[in-house]
Amino acid sequence: MKGLSLKNIEAGYSDRSIIKDLSLDVGQTETLVLMGPSGSGKSTLLLTILGILTPKKGTITLNDKDITNVPIEERNIGYLPQDYGLFPHLNVMDNVAYGLAVRGKSKEDQEAMAKEMLSLVELMGFEKRRIQELSGGQKQRVGLARALAIKPHLLLLDEPLSNIDQVTKVDVASELRKLFSKLEIPKILVTHNHEDALFLSEKLAIMIDGKIEQAGELNKVIKFPKTPFIKKLLMPFNQ
Amino acid sequence: MKFGTKNYIVILYFLAGLVLIFSISTFLYQYIAAVGSFSAVLGAFGNSRILTALGLSLLSAFATAALAIIFGVPLAYVLTMKEFKGKLLVETLAVDVPQTFPPIAEGMIFLLMLGPNSPLHVNLASTFTALVIAKFFISAPFVVSFTTRRFREIKQTGMNLTARSLGANPFLVFTTIFIPLSFKDIGAGVSLCWSRAMGELGGSLLFASVIPYQTEIIPTFIATQAKTLTIEALAATILVTTASTLAIISFKKLT
Repeated sequence: MKGLSLKNIEAGYSDRSIIKDLSLDVGQTETLVLMGPSGSGKSTLLLTILGILTPKKGTITLNDKDITNVPIEERNIGYLPQDYGLFPHLNVMDNVAYGLAVRGKSKEDQEAMAKEMLSLVELMGFEKRRIQELSGGQKQRVGLARALAIKPHLLLLDEPLSNIDQVTKVDVASELRKLFSKLEIPKILVTHNHEDALFLSEKLAIMIDGKIEQAGELNKVIKFPKTPFIKKLLMPFNQ
Repeated sequence: MKFGTKNYIVILYFLAGLVLIFSISTFLYQYIAAVGSFSAVLGAFGNSRILTALGLSLLSAFATAALAIIFGVPLAYVLTMKEFKGKLLVETLAVDVPQTFPPIAEGMIFLLMLGPNSPLHVNLASTFTALVIAKFFISAPFVVSFTTRRFREIKQTGMNLTARSLGANPFLVFTTIFIPLSFKDIGAGVSLCWSRAMGELGGSLLFASVIPYQTEIIPTFIATQAKTLTIEALAATILVTTASTLAIISFKKLT
C-alpha cells in the first residue's frame, strides 16, 4: 500500500525493548497524531521509523518498499526534531538547501528549491538570515522547509509546537495545518498537547507501554475511548 | 574588636593575592633578570646554537600540532560515536594518562621501544623524529580531549542525526557538521598542544638526546646549559616562555 506500514515492530535500546509488537498504518495523505503518557515509547517509535534505531523484530514499509534495514540517509524521511535541529553555522538558505547539497545537487538547483520551500513556509526574504536571529516560529518553519526540500516520502514531527509561545501558537498551528493539507505524504506528529492534536490532526493513535492501544479518526477515539486509562488521558479533549 | 564572619572574606583575598603575586612575579622575573644584563641577553638572541634550537623547537612543535590534528580529530570522532567495552579504560590510557605522564618516563619507554635495542628493529633515538614522537605523546591528547568534548556536545543536540535524515552519510556529517561546529575547540586544543610541545623536556632529553644543531631544542638547551651559559639559557628561557604565553593567550581568545 502507499503510505507507511509498521508490522509487529519490536524496538528499543540494547536489551530493553520499549516498542512491543506494534503495528500501525498511515495512509498516503494522512496526518496521524501520536499521543501517550511519558515513557510510552512515542519518541522511540519516531527514531525507529527514521532509522536511528533498528527494530529487533517486524518490518517497516514505506510506499510498498521494505525500509526496515535501509540506512537513515537513504530513507528520504523528512524529520523535524523538537528543537528543530537547525545548524547554527549555516544561514537560513544553507540550512534549507543542506539536504540537496549533500545529494550533490548543483548550486542553482539548491537555491531554486530552497527558495520554493521558503516561499511555501512564507519566509521569503529570510535567505541570508542567521539562525540565531529567528524567532521560535520562524525556526520551526525553516526546519520544516529543510525537511520538505528533500521531497520526503514521509514527514515526522516531534512536538512541533512545544517551543512556540502561546500568543503566536494559534497562527503557527494554522499555517502548519494549511501546509499539511498541501502535502501528499503521510505525516506523523508526536505531541503531549491536546489542543495541538485537535488542531492539526485527523487521525489519533494512543500509545501506552510500547503498544498502540487505540487508533482511528480523532473524533471517534475521543468519543469512544477503549479503556478507562485512555478516557482519563483524553479527558482534556472533552473539557 | 570581634572578628565577624563577614571579615573572613579578607583571608580569601589575601590568599588569592599571594598566589597571584607568586605566579606573575615568577613569569616576570625572567624579564627583570634580563634587564640587568640586557646587551648580553640581546646578543644571545643572535647565538646560532640558540637560534637553531629555537628553529628545531618551533618546527617539531608545529609538526606535533599538525599530527595531533590529523590523528587526534578522527580519534575524537571515534570516541564520540562508538560505544564499546572498555571504552573508559581506553580513553583514560590514550587521552588522560599521557597528559599527566612523567615526560622522563615517557622518554625512557620510547628509548626502549624505538631506540638502539628496539624489539621492532627501528632506531629512531637521537633524531628529529624522536623529538616529534616524544612531544606528540604528551601534547596530542589536548587536541583529542577538547575536540571530543565538543563533538559530544554536538551529538547530544542530535544535529548529526538530523543531518543524516537529510541524506548526509556519516563522513559528510563529520565534514559538514562536526568539523565546522568545532573549529574553535579544535583551535584551542591545538594552541595548548603546541604550547605543551614547545615546553616538553623529559621525553626529548632522553629519547632525542641533546645534539647541538641536530636535536637540541630550547628546553634541552636550558636544562643542560643553565649553570654554565646562564645568559644564553636566560635568553632561551625568554624565547620559549614568551612563545608559549602567546599561544595560551590565543587559546583564551578562542574559548
